[in-house]
Amino acid sequence: MAREKIYQEEEFPSPLLQLWHNFKQTHVVMIGFGCFLFLIFISILSPLIAPYSAVESHLDSLLLPPAWSNDGDISFLLGTDNLGRDVLSRLMHGTSLTFGLSFVVVIISMVIGVVIGSISALTKGIKSSFLNHFLDVVLSIPSLLLAIIIVAILGPGLKNTLWAIIMVLIPQFVHITRNAVTEEFSKDYVLASKLDGAGSFRILTYSIFPNIIEKIIGQATLAQSAAILDIAALGFLGLGAPIPLPEWGAMIASSIDLFYIAPWTVYLPGLAILFSVIATNLVGEGMRHALKIRKAS
Amino acid sequence: MLLFTIRRLNLLIFTLVLLTLLSFSLSYMFPGDPLLNLTGQVQATSEELIQLRETYKFDQSIFHQYWAYLNQIANGDLGTSMASHLPISSEISSLLPATMELSLTALFIAMVVGVPIGFIAAIKHRKFTDNFILTFAMLGYSIPVFWLGLLAILVFSIQLGWLPSAGQISLLYEIKHVTGVQFIDILLSDSEYKWQAFQDASAHIILPACVIALAPATIFIRLARTAMMEVLDTSYIRAANAKGLTFAQIIYHHAIRNAMVQVIRHVGLQFANLVTIAMVTEVIFSWPGIGRWLIESIYQRDYTAIQGGLLVLSSFIFAVHIIIDFIYAALNPLAREPHHGT
Repeated sequence: MAREKIYQEEEFPSPLLQLWHNFKQTHVVMIGFGCFLFLIFISILSPLIAPYSAVESHLDSLLLPPAWSNDGDISFLLGTDNLGRDVLSRLMHGTSLTFGLSFVVVIISMVIGVVIGSISALTKGIKSSFLNHFLDVVLSIPSLLLAIIIVAILGPGLKNTLWAIIMVLIPQFVHITRNAVTEEFSKDYVLASKLDGAGSFRILTYSIFPNIIEKIIGQATLAQSAAILDIAALGFLGLGAPIPLPEWGAMIASSIDLFYIAPWTVYLPGLAILFSVIATNLVGEGMRHALKIRKAS
Repeated sequence: MLLFTIRRLNLLIFTLVLLTLLSFSLSYMFPGDPLLNLTGQVQATSEELIQLRETYKFDQSIFHQYWAYLNQIANGDLGTSMASHLPISSEISSLLPATMELSLTALFIAMVVGVPIGFIAAIKHRKFTDNFILTFAMLGYSIPVFWLGLLAILVFSIQLGWLPSAGQISLLYEIKHVTGVQFIDILLSDSEYKWQAFQDASAHIILPACVIALAPATIFIRLARTAMMEVLDTSYIRAANAKGLTFAQIIYHHAIRNAMVQVIRHVGLQFANLVTIAMVTEVIFSWPGIGRWLIESIYQRDYTAIQGGLLVLSSFIFAVHIIIDFIYAALNPLAREPHHGT
């Protein structure tokens, strides 16, 4: 016989679900989140929805201004560059390079950083003290400088840039995971499951990770806005994506010479970077705000 | 204070050892012969090579090599540039002052502008002013700096023609290179056009320094806002209020001082960020500093220059970091002797 329900079912949302409840309260943050999803959507589907390919040149319409100016053409909505390539299509293809790759980079470095961080949180003594000092030193070197050094070792190119940025971001994740795990480990509920006979690994996966995942995601949004800016900056300096690729930073670098006759070829990619970084920052801001509300309640 | 000093010096030494270790291991990680990467003597004859192997102890174990490398650094020898065949140490000593000048000016601008705005935001918490400042701050640290630099050149140099767009000073002025810091050199020189040169140099530094300062300034806004809000929440502010002090008195005499201490604590960490931004900005504004030189040496595969530049630039950042830590400790007794607080 089934047990009768005497009490109304009470729901205890998981930490992540609670975060989402608090997160969606702020409207500006939801707009940012919408933009974030829109960018993900574009970066996946850009080959299908972009009007032209990124390298196709239309020799009869060079340096067309955007469609809203008098000389513009509606078939090239955001104008063309000096080789007659459609700027809108290049920006859309560039989304998957600058924004999409930054997403991938953050996920890879997050996984590696969290694994190293949790292992180091479980070790004690001189090893962990050394790691702490080492992390302090690595974190005090500017991220772009470190990325430039790693690119110098590996040689220029988009793939090497990505590895460089992954390596630069890992210490931040190690640092935050380590601190969060050590903090949780001293709490009573961990002691309870320890008394139940759970091993360190089980405590880590069942008790601690669900409680610190929001901190890690918060760090991930910070890391992503840094990653977008770093990929674009390295592309701009000519150390990242090669010129023909529609990476936003490289697009700006290749059209600097046209700045005065065709300013839209410079300010549009810049606006795209600004837009994606703001969207990411808004999501991160909302996340931290929601976290603060949860901590306070 | 003694304990604090010893602990900081300990950290400084540890960091310098790690940095030299990193820079030494780079010569093995870069493509090519480690000895050539370390010394930069690409055109050395075989006798000179034997000599170099002797000084850098390359026929012995790697620990001896590292020790020999440390000795060379202590003697001020960072090798020769592969591209220009000049000693790295002399190149750096002529370039680093320009970077110091630019980054410290930018830090100054960022603090002078950012901190008061942050205080205003905290005082007007959750009002229109606060929201407006926060929105502006969000915009400020999301802007890619190279793009901002280009826009600034387009607007202020080309369209309005107010400020020069490149370089440190107009070529018309002949200033002897003494310290490398342009302003001090100008003041030291005995040229009759001293003040014109001074004005020209100030006009040159405004645009790049403001571009660099924008992102750190927005971070200072947020730091100052948080610090001020925390201070305004404390009981000594409530006590001052109960005593009957006016709001302005509370802010000027109690809140600002205590909030400033918290802001200064974070300046060191922000400085690393600021130097990164300065490196990119130097490229755009053709500023003859170490950042532009480093990026150019990557194009030229000048590995010796990259090693030396990394070492010197990171040490500079860390030195500023430690100095700011000392200022913080001097201002805040709780930081030097933690047992006083608890």
